[in-house]
Amino acid sequence: MIKFEQVSKTYPGGQRALSKVNFHIQPGEMAFLTGHSGAGKSTLLKLISIMERPTVGRVLINGHDLNKISRRQIAYIRRDIGMIFQSHQLLMDKTVFDNVALPLVIEGYTHKETTKRVHAALEMVGLRDKARNLPIMLSGGEQQRVGIARAVVNKPPLLLADEPTGNLDPKLSMEIIRLFEDFNQAGVSVFIATHDLGLIARMKYRTLTLRQGQMITDGLSEADGEAWS
Amino acid sequence: MSLLFKGRSHGASDARVGLVQSVLAFFISHVRQALGSLGELWRQPAASIMTIGVLGLSITLPSTLYIMVKNTEKISAGWEQASEISLFLKQNTSAAGAQQLLTRLSTWPEVDNLTFIPADEALQEFQHLSGLGDAIAYLESNPLPDVVLVTPTDKHATPQAAQLLLDKLKQQREVDIGKLDIEWLERLYALLDIVRDLVTLIGLLLFVAVVLIIGNTIRLNISNKRDEILVMKLVGATDAFIHRPFLYTGFWYGLLGGLIAWVAVILILWWMDSSIQAFAALYQKDFTITGLTGGALFGMLGLSVLLGLVGSMISVQRHVREIEPR
Repeated sequence: MIKFEQVSKTYPGGQRALSKVNFHIQPGEMAFLTGHSGAGKSTLLKLISIMERPTVGRVLINGHDLNKISRRQIAYIRRDIGMIFQSHQLLMDKTVFDNVALPLVIEGYTHKETTKRVHAALEMVGLRDKARNLPIMLSGGEQQRVGIARAVVNKPPLLLADEPTGNLDPKLSMEIIRLFEDFNQAGVSVFIATHDLGLIARMKYRTLTLRQGQMITDGLSEADGEAWS
Repeated sequence: MSLLFKGRSHGASDARVGLVQSVLAFFISHVRQALGSLGELWRQPAASIMTIGVLGLSITLPSTLYIMVKNTEKISAGWEQASEISLFLKQNTSAAGAQQLLTRLSTWPEVDNLTFIPADEALQEFQHLSGLGDAIAYLESNPLPDVVLVTPTDKHATPQAAQLLLDKLKQQREVDIGKLDIEWLERLYALLDIVRDLVTLIGLLLFVAVVLIIGNTIRLNISNKRDEILVMKLVGATDAFIHRPFLYTGFWYGLLGGLIAWVAVILILWWMDSSIQAFAALYQKDFTITGLTGGALFGMLGLSVLLGLVGSMISVQRHVREIEPR
C-alpha cells in the first residue's frame, strides 16, 4: 500500500529530515510509526500526502510513484487518503455536520448522499447527536473524533494519522485507537505516527521506528525492536 | 475519479449516478457557491458597499464622459448639415453673368440649394445691421460684391467633401473668393477627437484601478479564509473549486458596481438636463440629451462584470497558490 524506496528529504537550508528510508506497508495493514520529536515522523507522513516532495528516492502508493503526480493531481490523491491531525484542522465557524461533509461537497456528492454518509460517519465515531454543534462546544476527544469522521466519510482505502492522541488522556487515546482498529477491520490500511509508546506497547501491531531521520527498525525484524529507547 | 485506486467510485462522477444528474449536480454546486458568495457580501455590508461604491463611481465617470461625447457628436452632426459656402463674385460680373452662374450651378449634383444676394441688397442689409447707417450713403460706389450662398447636399457636407466642392466652385470664372464656413467645425472635430482620446485614457486608467481594487479586496478575502483554504486543500479540493467562490465574489462586485454606475449616470443626466436645455435654448436648438441606449447599458454592465472577474482571477491565481499545507 505504502512503499518507500531509498527516500531522503533535505529541507531548504540543509536540515536533513529523512535519510535513505525504506519500508513497505501491505494493503489492509495497520502500523505505527514512532520516534522522538524531530525524528522525521511528520516529514514522512507529509511525503505520503504530498505536502512535501522527497529530495531523493521514490514514494509509492498502491504501486503509483508519487514523483509522477503533478501539482494539479495532488487534490485527487488526497481524496484517496483520509488524514487525521493532532490539531484536528477543523473549521471552527462551521458546524460538525458541515466539517464532516466538506470532502463530499468537494467531490460533488448530491445533498441526499452527503447527508446519508455524514450521518453514517458521525454514527461510527459516536457523535450522531452533535451534528448541529460547533466544534468549539465539543471536548478535545470529541473534536478529534470529528476529524476522524471527516477523514473516513468518503471511505478512503488509506488512513494517515499524525499524533491523533497527542492531547488526550490514556482512556480517550485508547478509544481513538479502537476506532482505527474498527476501520482496519473493514479493510482500510491505517498508518499512525505517535510518540505515545505506552499506547503501542499494549498492542501487537507492527511498529516502525525512526531516529534522526533514519529508520532503525521497520517492525518486521524482531531483534532490534527496543533499540532506540 | 481515483488516480491511485482503480475502480474506487467517487462523488458525482460515480458510475451509479446518471449523466443528467451529475450535470445537474454541477450546476447546483455552482449556484450554491454563487449564492454563498453573495451571502458573504451581505454579511459584511460596510466593506462590500465601499468596494462596490468605488467600483460603481469608477465606471460612472467614463460612462458619463462617453455620453457627453456621443451627444456632442450628435449636435455637431446637426450643424454640419447647415454648412454653407459663400461665393464672392468678381466686381465686374454683370447681372446676366451672375444669373448664368446660378443656372449652371443649379445643375450640379453636389448643390442642394442656392441663394443669390445682389450687391445692392447686401449693402442695404449691411447698412441696416452695422449701425453705420448714413455714413455708407457717402460711399461713391458699392464696395460689396454679389454673393452666392451654396448649400451642399448632405452627402457633400462633410468637411472633406465640402472642401472639394469649394475648390471646384473657385474654378468658376465669375468667382473671386470662396469661403467655406467650416473651419470652426474642423476645430470642433479636432477638439472632439482630443476629448474622445481623453475619455478613452481616463476610462482605461479607471478600469485598471478597478481591477486592482477588486484584486486587493479578493486578496484580503483570501487571507481571511486562509485556514479554510488550508483545510480544503488537505481534504482534496482542487484549485478550481477553491477559486470559484472568490470568482463569484468578483462577479457580484462587478454586477452591483455596474448597477450603481447605471443609477449614477441616470441621476447625473437628469441633473444636467435642465441646464443643457437652457443652453440649447440660447441657440434656438431643440435638443434632448440621450442617455445610455440598451446596448450601451448592457455593454457597461458587461464591462463591469468583466473587470470584477479579471480582478478576482488575477488575485486567486496569485494568492491561493501561496497557501499550501505544510
